Amino acid sequence: MKAIAWLPSWLQVAPVALILVLFFGLPMLVVVAVSFFDYGQGRLYPTFIFDNYLEIFSSSVTVRLYLSSLKFALIVWAVTLLIGFNIAYFLVFHVRTLLWQIGLFLLCTVPFWTSNIIRMISWIPFLGRNGIFNQTFMGLGVVSQPMEFLLFSDFAVIVAYVHLFTLFMVVPIFNSMARIDRSLIEAAYDAGAGSWGILTEIILPLSKTGIALGSIFVITLVMGDFFVVKVMSGGQSASVASALSNEISAIQYPPAAANAMILVAIVTLMVSGILRLVDVRKELTG
Amino acid sequence: MTRAAEEERKNKIRRRQILNAAAAGAGLAVGSGLVRGFPTIWAQNIKDIKLVQVGGSYSNIVEIANQATKELGFTVEMQAIDPDAQTNRTLTQPKSIDINDLGTFLLYYFVGRNIVQPIPVSKYKYWDKTLPIFAKGEYADGRKVSTQGTSPMKIQYYDSAEGKKFATQPTEWLTGIPTMFNADTLGVRPDLIGRPVESWKELLNPEFKGKAALVNTPSIGVMDVAMALEARGDLKYGDKGNMTKDEIDKTIKIMLDFKKAGHFRAFWTNFDQSVNLMASGEVVIQSMWSPAVTAVRSRGIPCYYVPLKEGYRSWSSILCPMAHLSGMKLDAAIDYMNWHNSGWTGGFVARQGYYSTVPETAKKFLSPEEWDYWYDGKPAAIDIKDPYGNLMEKKGKIRDGGSFAERTGKIACWNTLMDEDRYLTRRWNEFISG
Amino acid sequence: MKHATAGPRPWTFYVFASFFALFVLFLYGPMTVIYILSFQGPTGGLTFPMTGFSLRWFHALVTAERVGDIGGAFNRSIVLAVIVALLTVVLSVAAGLGFRRRFPGSGVVFYLAIASLIMPGLFVGLGIAVGFQLLGLDIDWYTSALGAQLTWTLPYGLLIMFAVLGRFNRAYEEAATDLGATSWQRLREVVLPILLPGIIGVALFGFTLSYDEFPRTVLTAGTRNTLPLEIWAMTTNVTSPALFAVGTVTTIVSFIAIGIALISIAVIQRRRTRGSGEPI
Repeated sequence: MKAIAWLPSWLQVAPVALILVLFFGLPMLVVVAVSFFDYGQGRLYPTFIFDNYLEIFSSSVTVRLYLSSLKFALIVWAVTLLIGFNIAYFLVFHVRTLLWQIGLFLLCTVPFWTSNIIRMISWIPFLGRNGIFNQTFMGLGVVSQPMEFLLFSDFAVIVAYVHLFTLFMVVPIFNSMARIDRSLIEAAYDAGAGSWGILTEIILPLSKTGIALGSIFVITLVMGDFFVVKVMSGGQSASVASALSNEISAIQYPPAAANAMILVAIVTLMVSGILRLVDVRKELTG
Repeated sequence: MTRAAEEERKNKIRRRQILNAAAAGAGLAVGSGLVRGFPTIWAQNIKDIKLVQVGGSYSNIVEIANQATKELGFTVEMQAIDPDAQTNRTLTQPKSIDINDLGTFLLYYFVGRNIVQPIPVSKYKYWDKTLPIFAKGEYADGRKVSTQGTSPMKIQYYDSAEGKKFATQPTEWLTGIPTMFNADTLGVRPDLIGRPVESWKELLNPEFKGKAALVNTPSIGVMDVAMALEARGDLKYGDKGNMTKDEIDKTIKIMLDFKKAGHFRAFWTNFDQSVNLMASGEVVIQSMWSPAVTAVRSRGIPCYYVPLKEGYRSWSSILCPMAHLSGMKLDAAIDYMNWHNSGWTGGFVARQGYYSTVPETAKKFLSPEEWDYWYDGKPAAIDIKDPYGNLMEKKGKIRDGGSFAERTGKIACWNTLMDEDRYLTRRWNEFISG
Repeated sequence: MKHATAGPRPWTFYVFASFFALFVLFLYGPMTVIYILSFQGPTGGLTFPMTGFSLRWFHALVTAERVGDIGGAFNRSIVLAVIVALLTVVLSVAAGLGFRRRFPGSGVVFYLAIASLIMPGLFVGLGIAVGFQLLGLDIDWYTSALGAQLTWTLPYGLLIMFAVLGRFNRAYEEAATDLGATSWQRLREVVLPILLPGIIGVALFGFTLSYDEFPRTVLTAGTRNTLPLEIWAMTTNVTSPALFAVGTVTTIVSFIAIGIALISIAVIQRRRTRGSGEPI
C-alpha cells in the first residue's frame, strides 16, 4: 500500500518537523500578523494595514539597504568560495593521512570556540590606526601612514565576514570532495587528462552539492547578519538586518516584521535559484 | 553621663541583644542590616523570597546584589542586559522581572499598560531627602531644571493610584524610585588635541575630521549633534529632546554631509567600544559616558570629560516594581528599593562618577576626601580609587567639570524618547545607509 | 595530478600548503591580539599599549570579581551546546534518512527549514518569547532558548545530512540486508559508521552554532545568561582584559581537547591496522 511506503519517512522526519513548526512556524505566524499592525511610541495597534509594506517599497532607503547587503553577500560569497574550495581541495587531495586531515581541520576551528563578541573586540587592536597590523607594516617601511581603511569600513566588514564564514564553505565542500571516487581520477589521469581538465571535468561537477550548500550557508548568514556589519563598519554601513535591528531596538515591531518578511522572501528566492542549479534533494532520492 | 542615662543606654543595648537572640532563636531570618534598620519586614519565610532586578551593567553589579542579600535576609539577584533586550523583555516577558532598573525615558513604553505599578510616596523612606531636581523639578535655589528632553518631572509621578498617566505636578504616586543620574558631555584626548575644548561645536570641527565618534543610539546621537549645531549657530531648536519632523530632517541632512566628508570615524554601540576607540587613539572627541572616561584614565591614558559652556546632556535611572508583584514579595521589593537608596549603593556608584538622587545617604558611605572630590569638586586629598580599588585619579586633581552644583546646574537637556520617534528611526536608518 | 599515498610531493602541494598556512594565520590573527592582551598589566585595557605583564585577568575569571558571572554563563553555554549538538545529530540523521524517499509534505518541511535558516534570529526569539508569554510558560535557557537554537541548528544539520546521504551507496545497506541484518543492526553497523564523518560535522556545527548563538537566545534565555549574552552585557559597561583571558583559556582548553581527540583516533587506527593488516 502506498501509504505504508512513506510512513517510516514521516516518522523519521516528524521530530524535526514538530520542532520547526512549534518553535519557528507558529512564531512566524505571529510575525506575519504583526507586520500588518499599526504602531507608535512602543505600542502596537492590532489592525490590518498595508502601510508598513508600502513604506518599505516606496522608500529609496530600502533599495540602498538591499544593494548594500547584496553587495556584501556576493563579495563574501566569492571570496569564501575561492578560499574554501582551495582549503577543502588541499585537505582532501594533498593531505595524506586521516589524522592529519582531522588535525588540520580542527586547527581551523579553534578560534571559533572563543565567543564571537570577544573576537569582534580584538579587531581594533589588530587593524586599528595603532594596531598590530599597521605597526608592523609601518615598521617594515611598507607604508608611512597608518592605513585607515582597514577598520570601520566596508573592507573591514568583508574581512570579518570572510574570517567568520569561510569554514561554513569548507565543511560542505570537504564532505563532497571526500566522497569522490579516487579511481575516477586515476582513470582520467591514465587516459591522459591534464590537471586542469580533471579539475573542471571531474572534481568541480562532483563537488557541486558541497559548493551549493556552502553558498546557501554563506549567503543566508551574510544577509541575516546585523552584528558584524554594525561593529566592523563602526555603524557606518548598513544592511537590511541591521536596519531591522534598529527598528526592534526602538520597539517598532510592525515595520521590522514587514522588513523581515520581505527579507525572507528575497533570500528564499536566491536560495531556490541555487537549488535549481544544483538539486540537493535529487541526489538524495535519486 | 548621668547614672540614669547610663542605665538607659545599657538597657537599650541589652534589649537589642535579646531581640537579636530571640529572633535567631525563633528561626526568623534577620538581615545583618538590622542595626541600620533593615529589613523592616519580619516573616518566617522571608528568606525564601527571591527578587530579580534587571538593568544596565553599570548598576546591576554582583557586589551590590550580594550586599543587598546580606543586609536584607532575602535573595536579590541582578541580571545585566543591554537596554534593547531589557525593553523587549519587559514588554514580552514581564513576569520574568521583579524590579526594573530603567533609564527614565523608557517609562514611556510602559506607562498605563499594567506592566509596572506605582509606589505611594509614604512607602519611600527617603523622599524628603531626595534632590529637588527629582521631587520638584527645580534646583535648591529655586531655579527650574531644563525641561528639554525627558526631564525627571515629566515621568516621576502618576496622576492616580491606577498609574495610567503621568502627572505634571507632584502627586503621592511615584512611578518608581529614582536612584542615580549624571551629567554627560563629550570626552576628549587632551594630549592628541593639544588645546582646550570649550564648546559643543568642537564635535563637528573639521580639524577633527575622521577622528570623531557618536553613540549609535538615534535619540541620543542626534541630541549630541543638536547641541553642536545649536552651538555653531546653524540651527535653533524648540526642544532638542523632542524635535519636530522639520528639525529632524534638517539635522539629518547636515549629519549626512558630515558623514560623506568622512568626519566620523565610527558610531559606537556599547561602552566597551567607546573606551577602546578613545584609548587606542582612533578618535579624539566623542559622545561618552563618565565611567568610560574613568576607564580610559585608569589605563594611564589622558582623557578629559569636558565641561562645555552650552551645558550637559543628562540622564537618570529609576527602579520600578513590576505590576505582577503583590503581598509579601511586593513588601520585600519596596524594602529592597529603600535599602538601595540608604547609602551603600550610592557610595559604590559615586566612585564611578554617578550621583545619587539622595546624596545625604551616599555621603555616609564615602570618605570625607572622596566626597570632596566626587561631589564638592575639591582637589583630591588622597589618591582616588574606583569601586574595585584601582587607581583612578592621583592626589591633587579636580573632578572633570568640578562640583555637583557646577555640573548639574548646567543641564541643557535630558535623554529622551521623542514623539517623532518613529520618524527619527527611519531617518536614522537612512543616515546610516547613506 | 597524482594522488599518491607515498612518494615525493608535487609542486602544487607546496602552493596549497602555503595557502593553507596563510589562511590559518588569517584565522589566528585576531586571536594573537587576544593572547597577547590577556596578559595585560593590571591597569591596562583592551587595546595596546601593554601597561605591564600580569596574570591578573586570568585570576579575575575565577573570582567573581566585577566580571559578571562568566563561570555560570560558561557552564550554561556548554551544557546547552552539548544538548543542542546531540539533539541536532539525532534529529538530523533521522530526518535525513527519512528524506531519502519522496513523501508528501517533504517540500513543506524542506522549505520550512530553509526559511528557518534565513529568518533573522531576533524575530524567532521574539516570536517564541511572545508565544511562551501567551501560554503562561516560563522562559528559561533550557526550554525556550533550547527550542530557539534548534531552529537554527536543525536546518544546518539537515542540509549537511542531505549532502552526506546523497553519496551514500545503498549497496551497502542492501548487502547488509542480504546477509540477514535487522534494520537496527543495519543502521548501527553499516549506515552510521559510514556516515560518521558527516555526523561529526553536524555535531560540530550544532555545538559551535549554539555556543556562539546570540540573536535567538537574547530574548529566550530568561534570567540566566548564556556566555555570549553575559559577555555582551559586560561590554555595555565593563571593559576588561578578562574577556581576552576567556579567549586564551578557551583556546588552551580546545587544543588540549583536540590533542586528546587526535591521540585517541591515532590509537584506534593503529588497533584497526594491527587487526586487519590494512590501513583505513
